[in-house]
Amino acid sequence: MLRLAWRNVWRNARRSSINVAAMGFGLAAIMFGQSMMKSLQYQLVEKATGSFTGHVRIQRSDVDEPKFPDKYLADPEPAAKIMDSDPRVLAWGRRLHLTGLISSPKMSLGALICGVEPAREPRITEMSKYIVEGRYLRDGEKGIVMGKKIAARLDVRLGEKVVLMAQAADGSMGAEMFRVVGISETGSESFDGQMVWIPLKSMQDLLGRPGQANQLAAKLKDLNQADAVAADFNAKLGPGNVRAMTWKSIDKEIIGIQAFQDGLLTIVLTVVFAIVALGILNTQLMSLFERVREFGVLMAIGARPRWLVRLLLIESALLGLVGMILGVVVGALMIDHFGRYGLNLPVGDAFKYFLPFPSVIFLRPAWGAHVFACATVFVVTILATLPPALRAGRLKPAEALRHV
Amino acid sequence: MSKHERAHPLVEVRGVEKVYPGSAKVAAVRGVDLKIDRGDFACLAGPSGSGKSTLLNLIGTLDRPTKGEILYDGSVVSKLDVDGLADFRLHTLGFVFQSYNLIPVLTARENVEYPLVLQGVGAEERERAAHEALKWVGLETFANRRPDLLSGGQQQRVAVARAIVHRPALVLADEPTANLDSKTGAALLDLMETLNREHGVTFLFSSHDQAVLARARRVIHLLDGALHGEEVRAR
Repeated sequence: MLRLAWRNVWRNARRSSINVAAMGFGLAAIMFGQSMMKSLQYQLVEKATGSFTGHVRIQRSDVDEPKFPDKYLADPEPAAKIMDSDPRVLAWGRRLHLTGLISSPKMSLGALICGVEPAREPRITEMSKYIVEGRYLRDGEKGIVMGKKIAARLDVRLGEKVVLMAQAADGSMGAEMFRVVGISETGSESFDGQMVWIPLKSMQDLLGRPGQANQLAAKLKDLNQADAVAADFNAKLGPGNVRAMTWKSIDKEIIGIQAFQDGLLTIVLTVVFAIVALGILNTQLMSLFERVREFGVLMAIGARPRWLVRLLLIESALLGLVGMILGVVVGALMIDHFGRYGLNLPVGDAFKYFLPFPSVIFLRPAWGAHVFACATVFVVTILATLPPALRAGRLKPAEALRHV
Repeated sequence: MSKHERAHPLVEVRGVEKVYPGSAKVAAVRGVDLKIDRGDFACLAGPSGSGKSTLLNLIGTLDRPTKGEILYDGSVVSKLDVDGLADFRLHTLGFVFQSYNLIPVLTARENVEYPLVLQGVGAEERERAAHEALKWVGLETFANRRPDLLSGGQQQRVAVARAIVHRPALVLADEPTANLDSKTGAALLDLMETLNREHGVTFLFSSHDQAVLARARRVIHLLDGALHGEEVRAR
């Protein structure tokens, strides 16, 4: 039966080739779409966690906005010990972030002042890599790194001084002078135009909060372990309002973007699957009408109806298998190509306002999704053949033999 | 042959009618009673529309009678279910069609083997039986050719080989020479006669061609769906 089915598939080679090509390129397009979406999402998460958020944070849970915690950890050391002792943590650091005022002789601007540990922060986030003039922060200095745009608006250059003002612990306005040691450029309006970085110790001095922080951020060896690590941290922290949370609870907009993209992808994939199914249905119906007489002959010589159904389903499975192999090969080659050389997408510009995001996406295979797509194409192929196959099974031999 | 087999004719058609449904109901076969014995070389004769093909289809269990019943070796088969009929045809009958009806994607040998494939016969045995059947019809050297590389006469001989490969009790042939020229048609009849005489294959075929009728040892005349006489000739 397999031999007959295989030869039947290729009896109309042109039609089968077009069908296989439609299936193969459809599947390749699905794989490409899946890979592009997953790579975009991966890159988005990497950039969001790698430029600001971190993978897991310990901070107060009773804050208005988890991304910018405005409440302090009076003693961050127990949390620091928990992070430091966990082997899944690649790097961690204390932070003290607060909005304040930055003033130059010519201008004053509101900014997010990020107090970070200069020795630890570059291992958590990659902001130090975006320095285009000067250098990154050093412990014990009153140095400041700022984005190129904010520097331009303040009209300050490397080596010049600015004054930072923020509300101190006692309610007064703390003010300190800082010298510009580095200017960064990420391409993001938020990072280049609204944020500055100073050493944690200097921030604590500015706010009159020695030894305090409002968050501890950790980068994990494996991002996928974030949930498990956060759960373990919370178990160790015990009850209270100091909690560990993952990037998913902090960068909720990324989860929203992911959900939107997944939804969009599902709609596109459904349409592609429907097109593939209709193509197969059309082919099998045409094949059925062309071979009604032949089915009559097979029934006359003793083929049972379910044998005919099986024959058509096997033909369809073979067609699906060939299409699937073509699709996987073409899809894998496309993903490999754009994984090596990158895919230039204007979508990078859309994200740039919020975070540093390159316009080039390097595709990576999403094998779980690809296997699902292959299986779906295969199942859709079989399902699309069921109506004509069942119809063939219901043919009456004498009528089929009279068919012209 | 067992006592049981001798007690009944090979085929017995009892009061069979076939009416095609529709706005104008057409009775293609009307009250036919007929017996076919083992070793017969019989022909259903009659003009177009006389019911030859319909009766052949009913005897071949390709269609169900509206009324009456068909018995093989004393057992009613016309009331078997779809699978039962398929199995019955597979083991008991062979078919030769007017337009050959070989499977175009299979070679001559593979076409001949097909009833045995459906029977679940092993590859070696299938090959041996197909070779023998093709040898009987004189086409063993064409075994690996596909139908499109065979002439009409050769295709019909392959169809005969397919019809006899599983040694059926009865071979039904609907106007087997209609698409062949007279010389090729005569050669095919020679072959069928030889198979009947030397290998005991029972044939029931239909034709309105006088040259074909002249070769049959039993001619059953049909007119307007009813029996209209019978001629029996000496062997």
